[in-house]
Amino acid sequence: MVCMSSLLKDLRYILLLVQWDLMKIVRRVIFVAMRATWFVIQVVFFGPVIAHMVNARGIGLDVSSYYSFYLLGVYTSILFTITASRAYDIAEEFEEGIIEYQLSLPMNRKILALGRAIGSGIASTLFTLPMFLTVIILAKEFDLLAIVISIVSALIFSIAISGFVLTTTLSIKSSDATDIIMGVLDAILVRLSTIFYPAVILKNIAPYYYAAIINPLSHLADLLRIFYSFEEFREIVIANPEAMASYILGLFIGFTVLAMYVIEKKIEGGGWR
Amino acid sequence: MSEKAVEIINLVKRFGNFVAVDDISLTIYGGEIFGLLGPNGSGKTTTLLTIATVYKPTSGDVRVYGYSVVSDGDKVRKMVGIAFQESKALGIDKPYDLLLWHAKVVGYSGEEARKVVKDVMEDLGLWEHRNKYFYQLSGGTRKKVEIAKVLIQKPKVAIFDEPTAQVDVVSKHYLWDKIRELKEEGSTIIIATNDMFEAERMCERIAIMYKGKVKAVGTIKELKDLVPLGDTIELELASYADQHVLDMLSRFGKVQGLGNKVIIYVNRGEEVAVDIIDVLRRSGVKVARIMVKEPSLDDVFFYIAGAKLKEEIS
Repeated sequence: MVCMSSLLKDLRYILLLVQWDLMKIVRRVIFVAMRATWFVIQVVFFGPVIAHMVNARGIGLDVSSYYSFYLLGVYTSILFTITASRAYDIAEEFEEGIIEYQLSLPMNRKILALGRAIGSGIASTLFTLPMFLTVIILAKEFDLLAIVISIVSALIFSIAISGFVLTTTLSIKSSDATDIIMGVLDAILVRLSTIFYPAVILKNIAPYYYAAIINPLSHLADLLRIFYSFEEFREIVIANPEAMASYILGLFIGFTVLAMYVIEKKIEGGGWR
Repeated sequence: MSEKAVEIINLVKRFGNFVAVDDISLTIYGGEIFGLLGPNGSGKTTTLLTIATVYKPTSGDVRVYGYSVVSDGDKVRKMVGIAFQESKALGIDKPYDLLLWHAKVVGYSGEEARKVVKDVMEDLGLWEHRNKYFYQLSGGTRKKVEIAKVLIQKPKVAIFDEPTAQVDVVSKHYLWDKIRELKEEGSTIIIATNDMFEAERMCERIAIMYKGKVKAVGTIKELKDLVPLGDTIELELASYADQHVLDMLSRFGKVQGLGNKVIIYVNRGEEVAVDIIDVLRRSGVKVARIMVKEPSLDDVFFYIAGAKLKEEIS
């Protein structure tokens, strides 16, 4: 009974922390507007152009198939970028002392870490939901089950990245270092992945291909592609669906556990550079 | 003596090479209003944030009702509430939203939370500001929001870091009353301040901190008694104070005479004054008026912190 009551309390804390992140969504209108503009340019201009270019190279995907491939890649990219941008929010929270306020609250630090990771993940997924729906419409893929599974996968991926971002930002305690690390990670991870180019193409350049294999963005992008068009994409994705799903799940467990450990054992107020 | 609410044991807190708190030990008892008094940078806030588990001790420990901030942080956090020096929760942009969120986190159900938040906001004159953005609020109003968090929470140990800085005089007295009410309801109160008047008005016991160390601890009277010849007895005699009278009074302390006025610098002025009146009465010297003045907390602070501080300030 006591255990149940404690579990319910912890769940309540997690919900309140999720609410905290959702209440902060409105503060990021300009950032979201910028990313939405980038997204529109990608899907309206670059997507069709690159689809025609790729078709001309003859890799076994026609124009419309590659366009679908590209759209899900762009969606993965923007989901990652917006989730990673939580680092700037967390840095800002540290500078404003909000983290110190949260560290003083009567809740377990593991729950604080889990709540913030889930909250950030949900907020980022909600941000990108209109873009995801646009992708579905443009790709003309209306399979409800695929849509639901995709959103759940995106959420799990986003929570994992949030856990990583939370751990990194709170550990390095530096706005400048956060800017540099997140900028570099965003640039490297988006490019060294299957977001824009299928794995079959990347195989021609071994370092690029192996980087893409361990890159979580490749796994989410290709997993989403498989959900919508298994037959069309199964030959060109980075791994089989079970492996990709396990990778995303492993990432989720690994980074949330890491965030819980670091916040409980290492993080304290002050010392921000 | 009531039970130990907070026990600080050889606490050291370093940030890199900087020693913010340097091996301090203190005991704060249940139900008292305890003050940490000291200039900026003396280690008050670091000490408070360590009690609230926001900072981890570099060495030593803090125990809150027996629970260690190092090994039982979760239990400590359930007993401690803190009003920070600066508002720390601007992430949620409006005072009402923030306080409602806070109320839910500290354990109120939805309906209870709405009621307690409304009550406290109305009580502190914050209700009219409930839907303003934080950046639209004055420093004093932000401070009230910070204090409202603790008044809503009603923790066993309530910590206030410079609770009335930036607050107008009327509100200052009102906030002091609210903090006293919290104590009456059973909370142990810890206040950090560099305002001597606030410390004197609010605190039952005080620790004077300077450069990370606790220089003295005691009631205000005990601290004032630390200042040698700190009390002043001002006598107005019915007649001229001649050398004979001055010599007679000099055994009580350092004496200054001017016409029919005599000033005597003594320890424990209220006790000595009785003896002085007795001696003068037996000698046939009539006293028109007598006044005993204690040293101010400023005097105590300067005495304890030492001449070096005076030099730094000047």
